[in-house]
Amino acid sequence: MTAVVFEKATRRFPGQDRPAVDALDLHIDDGEFLVLVGPSGCGKSTTLRMLAGLEDVDDGRILIGDRDVTRRPPKERDIAMVFQNYALYPHMTVAENMGFALRIAGTRKAEIRRRVAEAAEILGLTDYLDRKPKALSGGQRQRVAMGRAIVRSPQVFLMDEPLSNLDAKLRVQTRTQIAALQRRLGTTTVYVTHDQVEAMTMGDRVAVLKDGVLQQVASPRELYDRPVNLFVAGFMGSPAMNLLDLPLVDGGVRFGSTVLPVPREVRDAAPGPTVVVGLRPENLAVGGEGMAVRVDVVEELGSDAFVYGRADGIDEPLVARDDGRRPPAKGARVRLRVLDADAVHHFDPVSGRRLGR
Amino acid sequence: MRTSTRASGASPLMYVTLTLVVLLSIAPLYFMLVMASRANSEILSVPPPLLPGDQLAGNIERVFANEDVQFGRALLNTLLVASVATVAVVLTSALAGFAFAKLRFRGRHGLLVFVVATMMVPVQLGLIPLYMLMTEVGLAGGLASVTLPFLVSGFGVFFMRQYASQAIPDELIEAARVDGASTVRIFWSVVLPALRPAAAVLGLLTFMERWNDFLWPYISLDFNHPTVQVALSRLSGGYYTDQALVMAGTLMGTLPLVVVFILFGRQIVGGIMEGGVKS
Ligand SMILES: Nc1ncnc2c1ncn2[C@@H]1O[C@H](COP(=O)(O)OP(=O)(O)OP(=O)(O)O)[C@@H](O)[C@H]1O
Ligand SMILES: [Mg+2]
Repeated sequence: MTAVVFEKATRRFPGQDRPAVDALDLHIDDGEFLVLVGPSGCGKSTTLRMLAGLEDVDDGRILIGDRDVTRRPPKERDIAMVFQNYALYPHMTVAENMGFALRIAGTRKAEIRRRVAEAAEILGLTDYLDRKPKALSGGQRQRVAMGRAIVRSPQVFLMDEPLSNLDAKLRVQTRTQIAALQRRLGTTTVYVTHDQVEAMTMGDRVAVLKDGVLQQVASPRELYDRPVNLFVAGFMGSPAMNLLDLPLVDGGVRFGSTVLPVPREVRDAAPGPTVVVGLRPENLAVGGEGMAVRVDVVEELGSDAFVYGRADGIDEPLVARDDGRRPPAKGARVRLRVLDADAVHHFDPVSGRRLGR
Repeated sequence: MRTSTRASGASPLMYVTLTLVVLLSIAPLYFMLVMASRANSEILSVPPPLLPGDQLAGNIERVFANEDVQFGRALLNTLLVASVATVAVVLTSALAGFAFAKLRFRGRHGLLVFVVATMMVPVQLGLIPLYMLMTEVGLAGGLASVTLPFLVSGFGVFFMRQYASQAIPDELIEAARVDGASTVRIFWSVVLPALRPAAAVLGLLTFMERWNDFLWPYISLDFNHPTVQVALSRLSGGYYTDQALVMAGTLMGTLPLVVVFILFGRQIVGGIMEGGVKS
């Protein structure tokens, strides 16, 4: 059983006033695929490196499978890490790269060969075992880096943006492969990315970080359907959720020519005369009664089109998903209507917290 | 600066210039060979000979036969001294350079400044204290006195540190740590192989410096422990100088360097090629 637990884990870099990771509380279950996501500089890599033992923990504790590893060096943690730039040993062959950790651990030669061959088989690297990293493509190097991790059968896999050096198509392909491989091996995995699509598609659960502070940990579905605050609401989903600060009126909030009903508990919890209303693009459609906008841009994706428009008195552009075959023209004046009033999110305009369920 | 995209397109002017440079570099070596293969009287004739003669074997034989010079022993001595110093300098510099470049420890900046500062003391200034020191510890006169002071090098440490900090990404070392390697193991298995090109350059420079060192060995060594340069100086001593003999000796004293250069040169060129392509 290898659960991973962060207890108020904190990292302060010397000379910086704000901690890079601030009192992180996180429980990762045995066999779980947890994705750490957030904008650049939010402390994802630092969190992962603390778990790997490459970064000091200034406060709090880290446990791997009930064992307190806070002050233990990396080699006593039984973890394997895949680095963003792969960090393959340039003078070793693929087989030597993959077998290095086993060699250090004093595993017998025959056993190393067997396990390297097995991992190479899984990753389709059998033909490249005698090559040096220099003679491999980016995708192959990425797989060697994965191979180096799985050969060891560690307690935990750590991956820091392992796909960011691949081209878009290969990234999508490899994404599925990694997720499938992890399910098959059942090894607890912590995966860092700044790409919210990767986070949504790969993780059992996703942890969203901002400025070193954990915002929300939940399943991708939950994160998408019930973001706990404005930051998570705006970060997850592409195009991002429309967030409008709208005045409360009788029966709800005013949304153009209509009034959107607001649940009683939201109204009671709202601290002021307005609430922030969150509308996913797929919950907005062109036509009918609603907010009048002038169309700025239309992004046609074939099956769908995203319509970006500006409403009077609102700074942020609104985006709605529309039928890909007959989208409105640029410059047209249209109304955007809300499709499902129950799927509207509400947030406190001051604290940014979610209101209601 | 613009670089030509076509590797094959060097201009005629470039060829002429390079040919000239090659000729100028080879000329002294060539005339060394010419003089070493002639009798002394031929060398002093006017005009001087421009082609090699037939006395080479005889001159070399005379060099090795001279008991005052002990040329054969000098060659072996120098080979020993230069080899030991080279291996030691490369190893210590690689170790210290790695530590300065990649490990965090208290006082590393101050220590590095100290190491660099040792490069600024002129050799001549150190001769007398060094001689007194060697006499005190009873090593003066022997080969140890020209070996021990040169087992570590401030320049070597600095050179290796510079190379290590740009040639070895931190992630490589972290990957090895996660793979369970100790710092010593990381040095042997990951760092040292990566430092090979720089080690080859440093090794070559060190070997040449030790091989060609004259002043300190001349002061320190006794009659029975000559190095090549000291032996050469004895060849030209006396009332009259046999130029043919001196040149034959110089030729013998230079050949080993050429061999070493060929051996290490491959590594250096390999290193340059490797660094040129980003992996
Ligand atoms: N060695 C260091 N010394 C000082 N500050 C650091 C160090 N490493 C990281 N930081 C700071 O800590 C914060 C978090 O960095 P971290 O690398 O964890 O971000 P990240 O979420 O991985 O970002 P990215 O997506 O760009 O990789 C940043 O503000 C960064 O500047
Ligand atoms: Mg990062």
